[in-house]
Amino acid sequence: MSQADTIAVRVVAVQAVTPHIKHFKLAPETAGSLPAFSGGSHIIVVMQGGNRVHRNPYSLMGSPAQLEHYEISVRRMEESRGGSHFMHDELKEGSVLDIAHPVNLFPLDKIARKHLLVAGGIGITPFIAQLADLHSGNVPYELHYAARSPEHAAYREALERAEGDRVRMYYRSDGERIDFTQLLSRQPLGTHLYVCGAAAIVTNAVEAARACGWPASHIHWEKFSAPPVGDAFDVYLAKSRLRVHVLPDQSLLEAIEAAGVEVPYLCRGGVCGFCRTGVVEVDGELVHNDHFLSDEEKASGNAIMPCVSRARCKNLVLDL
Amino acid sequence: MLITGIRSKPVYAPLQPDLGGRYHLMVGHGVGAGPLMRVLADLQAAAPLSRAHTRILYVTDATAAASFGEEMRSAAVADARLVDDNEALLGHLHAALNDSLMGTRLYVAGPESFMGLVMRTALQFNLNKDEIRAEECGTLARRVYCIHCRAVTENVKTNIARCSGCRRSIVVRDHYSRRLAAYMGVMVDAEAPGELAPIKEVFL
Repeated sequence: MSQADTIAVRVVAVQAVTPHIKHFKLAPETAGSLPAFSGGSHIIVVMQGGNRVHRNPYSLMGSPAQLEHYEISVRRMEESRGGSHFMHDELKEGSVLDIAHPVNLFPLDKIARKHLLVAGGIGITPFIAQLADLHSGNVPYELHYAARSPEHAAYREALERAEGDRVRMYYRSDGERIDFTQLLSRQPLGTHLYVCGAAAIVTNAVEAARACGWPASHIHWEKFSAPPVGDAFDVYLAKSRLRVHVLPDQSLLEAIEAAGVEVPYLCRGGVCGFCRTGVVEVDGELVHNDHFLSDEEKASGNAIMPCVSRARCKNLVLDL
Repeated sequence: MLITGIRSKPVYAPLQPDLGGRYHLMVGHGVGAGPLMRVLADLQAAAPLSRAHTRILYVTDATAAASFGEEMRSAAVADARLVDDNEALLGHLHAALNDSLMGTRLYVAGPESFMGLVMRTALQFNLNKDEIRAEECGTLARRVYCIHCRAVTENVKTNIARCSGCRRSIVVRDHYSRRLAAYMGVMVDAEAPGELAPIKEVFL
């Protein structure tokens, strides 16, 4: 993905759906419809806020059959690096934004015999688009949705109305938790598990699935996580002959982009592998936060995923 | 010739126990009993309680020099079904997969055409590669699908065979359909009727 591939969109509606979550409708600036997508896709929203550019991924949550506008939901993070505060505080009806084309790194398995969808909080968003796809098929599915309280469970009423007993809610305010071992040990052969939410619910679900004997090919997850913060460090881009300083709350990828060097990316979350970058030299230790490189590759120190990983060093030289 | 270098030909590998599985379904034919007994012993050694979660479906091969029926029957597993032919086994397999849970691993051992039929059934239940262990043993004779009349000819041992449906001479390709559980057979003398390459037994 590069800057040239972006689409200009206008915010046509903003709605607060819970105390922390806002819903945005984005329509194309030029006439015509937006690019088609499948349930589970995300877009990257480019935010020109202050002196920093943020590029955050958000799941598309409208029906894939409806391309007049895109719908996204943004949770205001308490410890925001700037992106979610920009979306909540700066965007109004009429604001114009650039977005990258939709990419699907969290698709439904096309030949599954059953789909088991597990959402934690704002992790409900990709499933809302997928449910639109599931309504037109005859493959059984269940949605298990955990939220802080009924008040914080975005889109709960619409989901309960549309899904009936195919959705089950779990409220932490009532002491309810998803019993993954119980849930995952009674699923028929050919079931696929999809989990979306914060790190804890994803880890709990994936570990329980493995313990219940689920093979990796039936487990799909998408984690909401901002690039981890850390100490500032310096990077030298060997091919571009540029020295770049990475701030504590800035990702390595953002710092490289701010210096005017383009790195291909899709997910900006450490899973897709597109931004893999060769490490020429490092006088300290690489802090790998991605889920893409193998343990051996991480140990070798020859590559880094700059969207989420950093370095604890004085100087890092990259093959860029 | 037409029949080499085609990547759809299935590749099987020696059976290994998968300790990540919770339930084990073992499916065999004839000499396939050997690898299954071996993997059962390995599972037992690593996880002594696994036999209680293991089921066996087995076709006894009446033509084989040695019969493994007794070994299979006396393996102390939750359930062992011995049947006389592939069709009966596939019926049991369908029922077993239908009531199996996620966490099940399928182990398959037997001759070429048996492997294909079992794998086709597993595919219908969306079992993926990481849920199946499969080892080929016994005859390599193939099921061949005639691309002209769509008949399947069983037990083909030669490079060129006579189609059981339309009687054409068909050359057997490595081009394999998992959906049909058969190799593709293509008319070999369409341009020069009766002119055939030497016929050899190649799938033994």
